[in-house]
Amino acid sequence: MADLGRAALLVTFGLVVYALVAGALAARSRRRRLALSAQNALFAAFLSTLVAAAVLLVALARRDFTFAYVAAHTSRSLPLGYALSAFWGGQEGSLLLWLLILTGYAALAVWLNRRNRDLVVWVVPVLGLVATFFAFMLCFVSSPFVVAPAPGDGAGMVASLQNPYMLAHPPMLYLGYVGLTIPFAFAMGALLSGRTDERWIVATRRWTLAAWTFLGVGQLLGAHWAYVEIGWGGYYAWDPVENAALMPWLAATAFLHSVMIQEKRGMLKVWNMILVALAFLLSLFGTFLTRSGVVNSIHSFSQSPLGGWFLGFIAIMTAFSVALIYWRLPLLRSKTKLESLVSREATFLYNNLLLVALCLTILWGVMYPLLTEALRGETRSVSKPYYDFFLHVFGLPLLLLMGIGPLVAWRRASLRALGKTFLVPLLAAVVTGVALIALGFGSSTPGLLAYTFSAFVAASIVLEFQRGTSARHAIAGESYPRALVSLVGRNRRRYGGYIVHAAIVLLAIGIAGSSAYQTVREPAHGLRKGQSMEAAGWTFVYRGLTTHQEADAQATRATVDVYRGGSHVTTLHPGKNWYPVEQQTSNEVSIYHDPRSIGDVFTIADQIDPKSGVLFLKVLVKPLVNLIWVAGFVFVFGSVIAMWPDAVEQRRLAERYAPAAASART
Amino acid sequence: MSVALVLGAVLAVVAVLLVARPFLREPSPVEDTLVEPDELDRRRLELVEERDRALAALKELEFDHRTGKVSDDDYRALVGPLRRRAAEALRALEPRAEARHERSEAGTPEGTPKGQ
Amino acid sequence: MIALSVAAALAVFILYTAVVGGATTQLSPSQLQGHTGHVSLVGAVVGPVTGDAHAASGLRFRVKDVSGASTVTVPVDYHGSVPDLFKTGRHIVVAGQVRNGIFVGDNGTLVTKCPSKYAPAKTTSS
Repeated sequence: MADLGRAALLVTFGLVVYALVAGALAARSRRRRLALSAQNALFAAFLSTLVAAAVLLVALARRDFTFAYVAAHTSRSLPLGYALSAFWGGQEGSLLLWLLILTGYAALAVWLNRRNRDLVVWVVPVLGLVATFFAFMLCFVSSPFVVAPAPGDGAGMVASLQNPYMLAHPPMLYLGYVGLTIPFAFAMGALLSGRTDERWIVATRRWTLAAWTFLGVGQLLGAHWAYVEIGWGGYYAWDPVENAALMPWLAATAFLHSVMIQEKRGMLKVWNMILVALAFLLSLFGTFLTRSGVVNSIHSFSQSPLGGWFLGFIAIMTAFSVALIYWRLPLLRSKTKLESLVSREATFLYNNLLLVALCLTILWGVMYPLLTEALRGETRSVSKPYYDFFLHVFGLPLLLLMGIGPLVAWRRASLRALGKTFLVPLLAAVVTGVALIALGFGSSTPGLLAYTFSAFVAASIVLEFQRGTSARHAIAGESYPRALVSLVGRNRRRYGGYIVHAAIVLLAIGIAGSSAYQTVREPAHGLRKGQSMEAAGWTFVYRGLTTHQEADAQATRATVDVYRGGSHVTTLHPGKNWYPVEQQTSNEVSIYHDPRSIGDVFTIADQIDPKSGVLFLKVLVKPLVNLIWVAGFVFVFGSVIAMWPDAVEQRRLAERYAPAAASART
Repeated sequence: MSVALVLGAVLAVVAVLLVARPFLREPSPVEDTLVEPDELDRRRLELVEERDRALAALKELEFDHRTGKVSDDDYRALVGPLRRRAAEALRALEPRAEARHERSEAGTPEGTPKGQ
Repeated sequence: MIALSVAAALAVFILYTAVVGGATTQLSPSQLQGHTGHVSLVGAVVGPVTGDAHAASGLRFRVKDVSGASTVTVPVDYHGSVPDLFKTGRHIVVAGQVRNGIFVGDNGTLVTKCPSKYAPAKTTSS
């Protein structure tokens, strides 16, 4: 069966090379049937990749240990769900997942745009190019279908990966990463075809939004996973692997905003090309970072053959994009200029600069150890203080801009008009700020600023909805609830966008509360039975230890009674699991979700001495942290609204772009 | 093993068939050239986008004015130029439509071949 | 365009100062010789591991280079949280300073690294 998998991948390879070569030839010499043939090659590539994926899935389900990959990542005792998730647990499988999603997206994107012939004819070879790399890797460098004498049992899956997050987080991220290839391909296709119109943007708008949403959700899932399973008390550690997903997401956020300016004013065409290429290249880089372990040391880079190939491909695609943009620079130059530094265009521009600046500082932080090692022979690295500094310097103004942007008119806003629209949100912010200082939140300046800015943004979003609803109510005579629904229905992108902004506000508040205002109590000495410790008004009394047997682990738990102001609130059971097969311990944290602070009381059994019963308990009180997860749901809700197909708009766009056929018939 | 071989062969055949399909369906077509938008079409598209942009900007200005984001003075100052731009874009599109009509009347082959 | 370049220049300046100010040097045991300042030690744990990270004497172990032929090992004395994945053979990073021939780790800075796995495995006091 591994032979079938290998054969299927070879077929895919042949097909995508054909799509690249024949597609490029067809585009250059305007040959219709050849262009269609190249398109079909992409559809067929999806089919053959699907066959290869099916072969791997079946092998994983059956624990066919003749597949070296299955032997390395599963074991007989592994539950089926996790055995299947081992598909993306290793390097070869995750490359196959990449290719599967890529060919799937490519087939869909090309099929949906099949009437847009003169654009698609160039998109096909670009997609073929990207797919060729991954197919090549899978066939000749890193194959999931290597066979070897089957061992008695497989190596199993690391204990910390055996949880539902393993089923959701990687696929979500990949759906996001790969999704950024589509707008890139359409952008490059537009440049190759010499088109100056916005059709490529219109065609890929929802793709970009969807990929961006998947990437965002994937990251939140990862953060939640780290929070509850790895359990050190945080959700983001600025680890290179985490940054790998954040960077393309930031670039994509910038792109989502600046294309709006291109649509409305015809400006920033070159910038948008650069951004879409940056987002794509960063998604490749992110995959490379996650899979090659290169950032730990430039020496581990050479241990995996993947590293060199990936870097080479990224270099080629970078050169390709730069050359293409440079070649078409004359076509991209627009006549429109920025009329005023106080206009919505300007705020979008500032937003873009801040997002890209943040993205680049993270990139610099990730690359820094590699560069210093290569150039000076001495590895220097940056950590949390560096990232936090820039998160504050760039992130806080970004937060504020989210509130300012919608209040400013296009083209030019007079200061008097600004004064009027700013009044209420500004008041809300000042009142909040003063109240917070009075309540003692001045202890953290970034935290205070985050809360105050959030109040400003929240007020401006609410005002937007209120003003729009009132206007509709006045014009159409609808009742307020109906007016709200039809307002959103008619302006899905705008109001969906506002809901997404609201999600970001929640995220900001949650992050500020749980980092700037958290209380951490490290165990200075161990607790004996009956002893207690205190943190932020909570008292923790250690009652004793219990042990029990779980499916494949020996679980030790400490019983800790939690009191607030004298009354018993809950009992928590932090502890550790010991996995005899893997010879590993895992931390099992115990969390209490406090409704009053929308936060968590987080307990970690840092160290347990089973003989003496002494417990070293670490406690974190994190206010408002649950807003982060709530923000995730609001984020998806807003995105879905923004993406929702609008029949009226579809008709108008169809009419705009299809008249060549219509006029031919007249 | 032979099952794998058969399936693999089937897959390869399906792939080749899909790729060859356009050639098999039309072994000797009348026209095998991809229609490229000519200068007229491109210009037209540019103007259409310009028109849509101007109209959308007007609509947004009205909405912003109604919801109080744009003051009366600003509205009065901005609406004139915007209306003029929209009118210009609409006017620019008219002679294009006429020109294309004339061209198709004269019998210049301009059609997108049907079918995939 | 001008605005962009000004922004870029500013960014570079901020970056430079921040990085120079905030970066720590990462050294492997073979490179540690002679460094007396505050650094991050990267290496693989060599047994025997004795002591208790929460006791006064601290957790004691030795560290050697992750890769390469060097046989230099450095003794480490650490207090604070110990990640679950810590054991002999693991790759770790710990911040601290050499004092009297022993690398004294900063409280809570011991971190394990597992480059080939998905989840970043570590504990940090954040």
